[in-house]
Amino acid sequence: MPGFVHSDFAPVVVAVAERCLRRAYGSAGVPAGMRTGIVLVSASGDLASAQHVRATVEAGGRIGPLFFFQSVPNSAAGHIAARWNLRGPVVCLSPTGDPYTDGVGEADLLRDDGDADEVLLILIEQAPDKPTEAVAVLLGGGARP
Amino acid sequence: MVEARVAQLTGVHAVSALGRGAEAQLAGVLAGVPAFGPVGRFDTAARRVTVAATVSEVGTLPDELAAAIDAACRAAGLDRAQRAGCALLLAVHGGPAVGPTPAVLAGQLATRCGLSGHTRVYTSACVSASTAVADAAARITRGDVERVVVAAGYLVEPDQFALFDAGRALAVDGAVRPFSAGRRGLLLGDGVAAVVLESSTGRRRGVDPVATVAGWGRAGDAFHPCQPEPGGTGLARAVDGALRRAGLPPQSVGYVNANATGTAQSDTAEAAALRRALGGHASRVPVSSTKSVHGHALEASGLLELVVTALALRHGELPVNAGWLGPDDSCPLNVVRNRPQRTTATHALTLNAAFGGANTALLVGVG
Repeated sequence: MPGFVHSDFAPVVVAVAERCLRRAYGSAGVPAGMRTGIVLVSASGDLASAQHVRATVEAGGRIGPLFFFQSVPNSAAGHIAARWNLRGPVVCLSPTGDPYTDGVGEADLLRDDGDADEVLLILIEQAPDKPTEAVAVLLGGGARP
Repeated sequence: MVEARVAQLTGVHAVSALGRGAEAQLAGVLAGVPAFGPVGRFDTAARRVTVAATVSEVGTLPDELAAAIDAACRAAGLDRAQRAGCALLLAVHGGPAVGPTPAVLAGQLATRCGLSGHTRVYTSACVSASTAVADAAARITRGDVERVVVAAGYLVEPDQFALFDAGRALAVDGAVRPFSAGRRGLLLGDGVAAVVLESSTGRRRGVDPVATVAGWGRAGDAFHPCQPEPGGTGLARAVDGALRRAGLPPQSVGYVNANATGTAQSDTAEAAALRRALGGHASRVPVSSTKSVHGHALEASGLLELVVTALALRHGELPVNAGWLGPDDSCPLNVVRNRPQRTTATHALTLNAAFGGANTALLVGVG
């Protein structure tokens, strides 16, 4: 994925998001006028990149500039938003309970409050000894199963 | 007739390099003296830029956040029993390589401060805190909850400093010059803040609210992972949302505490957003960015700036936009320069934008 390095956080976020949006809307894309928000739920954000930065700084080294651009989960969400013209709010959460429940709660609030017509909810976790896992669900709006 | 539910700020507290406490923030932004200086907290020898706005004697982030929450609750007149059941919305960086995870931190803070309601942690970069405030206001006004504490914190540390330095985002001339010709970028600053948002229960306790969060809006650019949309369409839609919720026209906005970080493209995009949202009023309404004195507190910036915006509006003087060198044709705004500007305005916007094209607008009301 151009612009993102070292970590599979952003590529996996984008992969599940695009599969989800393609299932919902196919090649036509999100309908004009639809405000699709993004809620990205992750306990630790891009852990692999954060650990690389920590180790590099600790050793007195220099960090590559691309790490700045991927230093927050918003960047991956912004990549999806740009490719799919998702004009709703971008919200990233670190779950304090069940990640899906937290994410759905935020998505419902954004829709009920009127800033989003639908919400792309993405759940992702990076674990040291396991492959990165992510799930994307489109909530509300005009999407059909 | 049923009284419309509103979200009032009944207690506020903040810490930054301008000082400790809400009044220190107001005095600092009105004095307009930038608080930037050499970073002594960690080694910056390998960095292009070596300055930030840091608090001279600062505790750990958990301790500072707990103290801020306690202070805001005291300011709101909440005793221990009244804090029980209160929700905590926390805005912090999402991926610390050291210290407690955000969720653990939220749980610890809720326990320490006696808040036993729902917790949520926002890690949406520079709109984390403002999104939390918008969500809190939404939940209060729709009747879900009576009272929410929003807390946010960022203390300048070596990893984010190195990242911003590597990204050439920091101002190499050691000054933040929002909307000005010759601006070179942003500088980081400590920021820890907490506010109590309530429905009218605060007034029923005899508490005089600091201000009301009269409107809010959140919108995305759909443009780029980390650059703002040059036309400011996303931020303009966030401002539209804030005005619509408040039921007010653009002309009612008497001040804008802009997101303006002192970065070339971002400030230009924000000026475009203001023109798009406020029309001709954009060239008349007084605008400044208090980041020019307290620096960019990242995840906490939205809450620190809400506090200073509310206090300044209530006080009747608008903060100076420090670092001004001269006008930039791409930012045709009425920037507050040289000295604070007296005002009788009753409403002000505080704006924030972040990577991912995330934008928020909060509309504060007094009187």
